[in-house]
Amino acid sequence: MNTKRDGAPSQDTSSFALPVVSDRPAPAADAVGEALEHAAANASSSENGYGRSYWRSLEEKLGTSEYLEETRPEFPAGADLAPSGFARREFMQLLGASLALAGATACSTRPQDERILPYTKTPPEVSPGNPLHYASGMTLAGNTSGLLITAREGRPIKIEGNPQHPVNQGAAGPWEQAYLLSLYDPNRARVLRQGKSPRALRVLAEDVAGLVNKAAPADGGARLRFLTEPGNSPMMGDLRNRVLKKLPNARFYSYTAMTQDAESEAARALFPGQAVSALYDFTQADIVLSLDADFLESRPANLAYARQFADRRDPKNGPLNRLYVAEARFSITGGMADHRLRVKSQEVLAIATGVAQALGGPAASLAGAASGKSQLKGTPEEVQKINAWIQAVVADLRAAKPGRTLVVAGERQPAAVHALAHAINAALGNAGTTVRYVQSPVAEPTGLSQVRALVEDIKGGRVDTLVITSWNPLYNLPSDVGLTELLNPATNPNRAKLSVLYTGLYEDETSQFVDWFVPAAHPLETWSDGRAVDGTVSIAQPLIQPLFNGVPESELLALFLDEPYRPAYQMLREYWQGQTGGAADFESRWESFVSDGIIAGTASAAATATPDFGAATALVTGYQPPKTDGLELNFVHDYKLFDGRFANNAWLQELPDPITKMVWDNAALVSPATATKLNMEPGSLAELSYGGKTLTVPVWTTPGLADDTVTVALGYGRNGLHESVAKGVGFNANTLRTAAAPWFDGGADLKPTRGSHKFSLTQTHWRMEGRPIALDMPVSELTKPSVETQHILHRVKGELKPGIHDNLPDFDYSNGYKWGMAIDLSRCTGCSACVVACQAENNIPVVGKEQVARSREMQWLRIDRYFEGPESDPKMVMQPVMCVHCEKAPCEYVCPVNATVHSDEGLNDMVYNRCVGTRYCSNNCPYKVRRFNYLHYTSGKTSTEKMLMNPDVTVRNRGVMEKCTYCVQRIERVRISARVEKRLIQEKELQTACQQTCPTQAIVFGSLNDKQQRVSVMQEDERAYKLLHELGTRPRTAHLIRVRNPNPALEPAKTPAATEGSH
Amino acid sequence: MSGPLFPRWTNTVSRLSAAALLAVPAIGIGGLMAYVRSPYVTNQQMPIEQPIEFDHRHHAGDEQIDCRYCHWTVEESPSAGIPSTTVCMSCHAQVWNKSPYLVEVRKAFFADQPIPWVRVHNLPDFVYFNHAIHVNKGVGCATCHGRIDQMAAVEQHSPLTMAWCLDCHRNPEPNLRPAEFITSMTWAPPTDKAEAAALGKKLAEEYDVHSRTSCSTCHR
Repeated sequence: MNTKRDGAPSQDTSSFALPVVSDRPAPAADAVGEALEHAAANASSSENGYGRSYWRSLEEKLGTSEYLEETRPEFPAGADLAPSGFARREFMQLLGASLALAGATACSTRPQDERILPYTKTPPEVSPGNPLHYASGMTLAGNTSGLLITAREGRPIKIEGNPQHPVNQGAAGPWEQAYLLSLYDPNRARVLRQGKSPRALRVLAEDVAGLVNKAAPADGGARLRFLTEPGNSPMMGDLRNRVLKKLPNARFYSYTAMTQDAESEAARALFPGQAVSALYDFTQADIVLSLDADFLESRPANLAYARQFADRRDPKNGPLNRLYVAEARFSITGGMADHRLRVKSQEVLAIATGVAQALGGPAASLAGAASGKSQLKGTPEEVQKINAWIQAVVADLRAAKPGRTLVVAGERQPAAVHALAHAINAALGNAGTTVRYVQSPVAEPTGLSQVRALVEDIKGGRVDTLVITSWNPLYNLPSDVGLTELLNPATNPNRAKLSVLYTGLYEDETSQFVDWFVPAAHPLETWSDGRAVDGTVSIAQPLIQPLFNGVPESELLALFLDEPYRPAYQMLREYWQGQTGGAADFESRWESFVSDGIIAGTASAAATATPDFGAATALVTGYQPPKTDGLELNFVHDYKLFDGRFANNAWLQELPDPITKMVWDNAALVSPATATKLNMEPGSLAELSYGGKTLTVPVWTTPGLADDTVTVALGYGRNGLHESVAKGVGFNANTLRTAAAPWFDGGADLKPTRGSHKFSLTQTHWRMEGRPIALDMPVSELTKPSVETQHILHRVKGELKPGIHDNLPDFDYSNGYKWGMAIDLSRCTGCSACVVACQAENNIPVVGKEQVARSREMQWLRIDRYFEGPESDPKMVMQPVMCVHCEKAPCEYVCPVNATVHSDEGLNDMVYNRCVGTRYCSNNCPYKVRRFNYLHYTSGKTSTEKMLMNPDVTVRNRGVMEKCTYCVQRIERVRISARVEKRLIQEKELQTACQQTCPTQAIVFGSLNDKQQRVSVMQEDERAYKLLHELGTRPRTAHLIRVRNPNPALEPAKTPAATEGSH
Repeated sequence: MSGPLFPRWTNTVSRLSAAALLAVPAIGIGGLMAYVRSPYVTNQQMPIEQPIEFDHRHHAGDEQIDCRYCHWTVEESPSAGIPSTTVCMSCHAQVWNKSPYLVEVRKAFFADQPIPWVRVHNLPDFVYFNHAIHVNKGVGCATCHGRIDQMAAVEQHSPLTMAWCLDCHRNPEPNLRPAEFITSMTWAPPTDKAEAAALGKKLAEEYDVHSRTSCSTCHR
């Protein structure tokens, strides 16, 4: 028998031998198999993703054997196991109970009587079954963003950005959207208490009145202190002034964890006697230099900046801007950079100095003062490389037109860097074009210096009563501030002389040491107002009556006026009536304030003075550089939990971190080289010591971090009394922080210790087997593609062979709509607002850390984060992937019960009630976008949590497959209203949830049958390609190749193909 | 003595049992299929007792009050709307305002408590029916709900099975009526078949009816 494998033709010359045409294996019988084979043959692993090396984790990049073994099966071990921790006995009990109930209900087929409870008097605006939208606002750390909230029959169910708001422009970040979940959180505090005894608000009011009546004539309230969030609310400011009129010697201090301390310190130095803040305009900036500024994601102006920035990343809008970022951590902004320089945080000053010196003018004199404060460390080659980078940046800044560049300093950087950034902007003529100086929306001094003054007051015995409305200061203050020690009776013998009142949404770390605790009303339960970063005032209206007896902050503060009770609504209205000068048409103006959500014409006026850089010299010379030895410890705000105030929010806990893709955890992040040097592996435990304190932390490696730095996110390690979601998640890095160096300092040490920690990450789930999925290239490659690029484009956009790639009958969509989507990778920053929007819109459950470890996360929309290039200093590409609604969908023809079928408009419908849970569809889905309910994740919801559910979307049960529907409930709602009016659906009235909230407008949805719609234009774009095009699935979602705009001095362009001959 | 081992009558027995072997499952399955379609399972013909003896015969029949007076959102919302107590009281503050039948209504009104009506038409939670589109496209109230004006206590008239929905979604024309008769309880299509078909065709065109049968039309 001829055992030769395929290849050489048979050499058998025997005359008896039957003619052998070929001994290759018979051709694949079916065209599908052939297509798959073709795809497999063309996706050889040695090709490394079409000449580029994209990777999602270090293990993948390095190809460690454990990793490959672990992820070679599509699902991790245990993904299809029954839930553990479910005792058999318990199971039998439950079984018994359900059997008994089954017996009871089997007697009648009629479902239990369901009641319909109508209104006694229907509010005129309500028509049951239709949603209503209310403009409102959310104040977070001294900034109010404008929201548009959807309510169904009195229940808020979805938060979106207010399209009329100048900062939001319709977008909302993860925090605003997830705020809804905290409204309904059953862990919220419900009881107003004095010590351990519940009290009525009246008792507190009498207590406060007694205090005020005694203090006002005696000492003018000299022994009363308030610790509040930064005051950006005009109404609260007015209330505060009235309290100070009654108690002139009382003092207000303000503090929030995300302070713009350094920025305002620099601004105060540059504009003596004025409260000024800088606003940036990225639309005009051709060259942007970020000095550790994460302006695309860090509050408060990020939504506006992200939109402006993204508009300059589309080649159709003209020449691209160019972004340089110098930073120690890997931030979202760093991921968008054309050139990212990883340096220690303390060396960012040296970068700023270098740039300033080269540019001359006042910048150079400031730089002279700063020289010697910060040195570039490293081998001579490394220093030379950094200097070359600085020279390239300077040359680029110089070459750009005056006023068309922008330098931004990050909030973690000291005031000296901010002063230098302002000086550089002045030298480049940016003031008035890309940088505007306006009156700051928060006029008062705020930050750690305020807390220190308060602590001194208490230590000096000058305080009898302390009122805290700032969020959880005992948790989020650096540990050496000493407020905890003063409030803890165990450590402060004089504690009994101090009476502390605290208001918050939860019983948390601060509430355990206070004398009075007042449950706060959620911002969606009360009337308030507040200024956005540009000064625009939003009126925040409530959507629901307080669910848990919360007291609005304004009403609490009003107690100190000792006046008759007035609700927050009345106070707010009267304040604005006074502001409009009691205009006769106030009623209609008030109506428009509330319905628009913003008060027009309240944007901050421009600053009158010009910056005085001479005055800032003292700031620079006075800067004390941090320690340079050891590791540099960096504290950062978490992308999900902020400073920890969202720690009890399960949506955010389960949101994968944009960079690490970690859920339900924080970690000490180090670069791969540092990990090797310290002899650590991802997941191993280590002792992190700094300033004489030690903390045991789990370590995770993140490519692209500066070497010899450790980055830890704040906001974890919460142990509030009733915050059951937050409890036990991560570690509290505030215990290591000091007031002197709240954001970074050298001298830290990381030592391996025994033990390991299991992280849950989503990045290694749904792996795409090394095929070219996310694409990015220099913009020059689009016009003059290199051989390599031509190859890639051919692969992702080439013709499909009928019969091989295209073996299912076509559908006819000539009538009506043909839904499609386009996602522009050039615009996507990976901020994950869309993931939260999808979760809220589609009733997607949260599954917990252990379930995520088994790949059972339920988010329909995932953002794949690809690294590209060397593991020490990679680039990043973000790619949102949800169901792409294939024209020739592989899931459809394997479903044995027809539970996933094609709609007449090309949607890949998922019919939950038909699904029996075979999971064939998920196995056959090349995009891995289907999610299976392994357990009944939505069971056990409390009555308030049920109010959160979107009534337009089925709540899925155990054993049901689900996936992105292109927000079919929104399509159908809009379709019905359009059909009632006998017209076609307009492009602007239909947006999917992810598209609606996207700050950069990276996601576009619409009908491909209308060539005018933006989605059609984008799908026709030269950058558009379809995921796994070679499989012939014909996705309805197109991704647009991300383009970069590298500086030729730093990254020479590849030789165009023309000179090498065509492919 | 010799004779057949099996007497002749065993032939009948074996034939009968063979037939029974086939017939019993067939009848069983057929019976079950008939059963799930029967009113007993679909909950038809089952007048529902309400907390208040509200009689549609009187209001919709004798008084000829338009359906939309109480079910006021039927043209604009997925839900037809259950009238608020204020709607009851808008008449009954004047007429029958001392009637003992209406004690519960007055109690609910003055206590500002909802009246707990019992749901009659209960679709599964994964079905999203929308009244507005049906009413606007010429599907009348009586088409699905039957002669409400003849029901002392409202009962479910139609089976509300998916097959019943699809029958109309596949061919809506016979179930259309002119918009001016949308709430009429007595309107009937022309008796002449050709005339009725022509009317259906005309209305479908006039109201721009294209009923859809894709799954996501009703299941989301």
